[in-house]
Amino acid sequence: MKKILILLAVVTAFTSCKSGSKKKGTDEKSAKTEISLSAAGSTFAGPFYKTAFKKYFDLTGVQTSYGLTGSGAGIRSLKDRVVDFCGSDAFLSDAEAANMPAPVVHVATCSGAVDIAFNVPGIDSIKLDQEVLADIFLGKITNWNDAKLKAINPGVKFPDLAISVVHRSDGSGTTFIFSDYMSKISKEWKDQIGVGKSLNWPTGMGAKGNPGVAGTISSTVGSIGYIGSDYAFAQKISFALVKNAAGNYIAPTIAAVSAAGKGDMPADTRIMETNSTAPDAYPISGFTWIILYKEQAYNGRSLDQAQATVKLIDWMLDPAAQGIAKELKYAPLPDKVVQIDKAILRTVTYNGKPILK
Amino acid sequence: MNNSDKITKYFLFAGSFLILIVAGGMVFSLVGGAIPAFHKFGWHFITSTNWNPTEGRESYGAMPFIAGTMITSVLALLISIPMAFSTSLFVSEYFRKTPVASVLSTLVDLLAGIPSIVYGLWGFYTLRPFIMHLGLSPQGFGVFTSGIILAIMIIPYATSLSNEIIVMVPNELKEAAYSLGATRMEVIFNVIVPNARSGIVASYILAFGRALGETMAVTMLIGNANKVPHSLFDTGNTMASVIANQFGEADGLKLSSLIAIGLLLFIITALVNTAGKFIIKKLS
Amino acid sequence: MKVIAIRDNSNSRNTKNKIFLGIVIFFSLLTILPIILIVGELVVKGIGQINLSFFTEVAPDTLQAMVAKANGETIPGGIANGITGSILIVVLAAVMAIPFGIITGIYLYETPGKRYSNIIRDIADVLQGVPSIVLGLIVYLWVVKHITHSYSALAGSVSLAIMMLPLIIRSTEETLKMIPGTLKEAAVALGVPYHKIILRVLIPSSFSGLLTGILISISRILGETAPLMLTTLGNPRINWDITHPTSAVPLLIWQFYNDPNMVELIWSSSLFLMGFVLTLNIISKRISAKHSIH
Repeated sequence: MKKILILLAVVTAFTSCKSGSKKKGTDEKSAKTEISLSAAGSTFAGPFYKTAFKKYFDLTGVQTSYGLTGSGAGIRSLKDRVVDFCGSDAFLSDAEAANMPAPVVHVATCSGAVDIAFNVPGIDSIKLDQEVLADIFLGKITNWNDAKLKAINPGVKFPDLAISVVHRSDGSGTTFIFSDYMSKISKEWKDQIGVGKSLNWPTGMGAKGNPGVAGTISSTVGSIGYIGSDYAFAQKISFALVKNAAGNYIAPTIAAVSAAGKGDMPADTRIMETNSTAPDAYPISGFTWIILYKEQAYNGRSLDQAQATVKLIDWMLDPAAQGIAKELKYAPLPDKVVQIDKAILRTVTYNGKPILK
Repeated sequence: MNNSDKITKYFLFAGSFLILIVAGGMVFSLVGGAIPAFHKFGWHFITSTNWNPTEGRESYGAMPFIAGTMITSVLALLISIPMAFSTSLFVSEYFRKTPVASVLSTLVDLLAGIPSIVYGLWGFYTLRPFIMHLGLSPQGFGVFTSGIILAIMIIPYATSLSNEIIVMVPNELKEAAYSLGATRMEVIFNVIVPNARSGIVASYILAFGRALGETMAVTMLIGNANKVPHSLFDTGNTMASVIANQFGEADGLKLSSLIAIGLLLFIITALVNTAGKFIIKKLS
Repeated sequence: MKVIAIRDNSNSRNTKNKIFLGIVIFFSLLTILPIILIVGELVVKGIGQINLSFFTEVAPDTLQAMVAKANGETIPGGIANGITGSILIVVLAAVMAIPFGIITGIYLYETPGKRYSNIIRDIADVLQGVPSIVLGLIVYLWVVKHITHSYSALAGSVSLAIMMLPLIIRSTEETLKMIPGTLKEAAVALGVPYHKIILRVLIPSSFSGLLTGILISISRILGETAPLMLTTLGNPRINWDITHPTSAVPLLIWQFYNDPNMVELIWSSSLFLMGFVLTLNIISKRISAKHSIH
């Protein structure tokens, strides 16, 4: 027993010495930069961030750890100043921003769609308009052979099959985008349920995470639910065409999501792009943001650390990084938004002096 | 008692402080975090079945989760006791020191090393369709499915300690009973069980505690409906599961309510424990 | 009359005895069934991913996984950052929890029935039921926010040590209780100092039980995800600095689960965790066989 304890003690002593003396990665590139960044937040944007950060490490030697904690926990970490920046699928409201210890800025990094996925044997594609979509998720349309569904889907033979609604059980940016859209198209939804990262659902069953919803839909006949489009794409799940504000039925493609992002953009990028009026826009789309403090000199952070943070985020707007987003089925930012983002990043300071020129 | 013995005693005594400090600090942090929720909802927080996280009409009640936790955990314990007890006897008494017993105990111990997510996935892809196939529940999610998965998950905790304890019952006692003409079963119930009782019960309490706090697997199988389940095959939710589900995005009053649920779980575990000990006392 | 009654009785006692054995065997087999199904599934789905690079390379990113999948290749990379991180965090946790756990366990054994001991015992039992995510939250408040000012391996090991502590305390006490009192009495009678009784008599003779307790507590914390998410965050590289964010195998599993292109990696990573537990198990059995005093 004693021997084991001593052994354990020696091992820890050894490992901690080792870490002290020759700190990780003897990579030549990192000779200059001993800087490592940490961030947490959005699971939705996680695959994009993780891939891009790894690429950035190969280029510069700056290492970034990103934790898939969920947007809210990411924001809490930023508030507690234990991370350099956070990722979030929902922007901070004025009240939430005022609650932070110091002013923050939002930088939009890409956008994505929320798909309406379903599982009805023999049917690959359906169309949904605003009214039917709201009625299904409010629990008012309960069978796939409902007359309203048939009316907008001529030629599709719906079986007599109960509809099971599947929604997220965990708080999620995906739910936030979905409910934001639903509140815009249905007064009843707005009054009864509202907008949020988790909701008081009138019907259906909750599954954890995008994988949970995707798995439940593919294994439950008659089900319908909403999932992040990258997930539906990778798992090859059938999705619905949704009628947009201009009256067209649109599939959740990268082009259709980009179209939704081309509308007016405020100078602080804080806007929901759901229910876009553009004729070819997919209506359930949303941006995802990186949030950081405007003044980077806090908690004894070095200038190097601050510069590394801002340069990384600046690089995320670069065509190289945006290309990664596109390969992973997110919609890259329109040029207009990139310019606004860059203007925002130039306002980030260290002891009052701008970090980027 | 000489000086060196005294020093040893004080050393042991001082060592036992750590867990007091940890537990005290935890209660302090939990109570501090839970105050806003109790301040806002009062005792109603415990009895209310309403859980509405939408901004502007927030209202939180813990009852659905308390009920879900208790039902699934008790169910899991009931299912696992005969299995765990039989396995312990198989390994530590009937087939003690045989290769079969060693394989069985190794297999059971392996269960402890499988991450919760994998149990969840297995339950999701294998157990759930089976339950649907049996026609027990239309969607396969629910209290019963979670209870079965929990039962499997807690078996290694229920057996690990009991195996060791049963092995350690002095041979002299057993031999004395055999020489009086007792059968194996009588030796088990009249010699082994009474001697090993507190260890066996301790390991079942350990297992029950594990069931109370289990998160991922339950979350993937219980259906996450924030209501009190009406039957064994109904969907529901548990305290640990709602914390894990909602914690990532929670802030303000909701965060406080989740911490309050954590505190309630802490208290429930304490009550369950006391009840367990009371039962042992009554039995002996 | 009397004789017949006894014989009848002994017959029925024998039958009962046999039926009971049947029940024991039946339930033991029933226990094995799900184990074999789960373990079998892990092996079948996970073995294909396991090769040398699985142990030497860090986790792939989504793009690499996507490209590999599209080309029908094995997903490249491994879980080296997770393995090293898990080892760092678990060893640190063990160093914190084992000595205190055993000391407290011995204290409880030495002072049974004392009010203070009862309280400590109750607290240990209650701590076992606290959901791990709550522990994560508390350690986030204590260590991440106020000590390391960053997500860190240290914070992760504190949360895991809190999970281990009650397990070790209770298993130590229960094991010690089973040692024949005569052993200790003999030592006391010989005038052996108290600390030597502990080190030379109590600990060696309960060694296999203590080890089982430690083993089960390590296997319990090996697969924990929730507290690590709130304390160590994860790291795409191998990291040995205990004040920096660090990865761990369960954190990687969580990441793979959430990434539609990497779901396959869950099985191999879990298979690895299971193999790890199996190894610990075999080691403990070897050691306890060596130290057996019977």
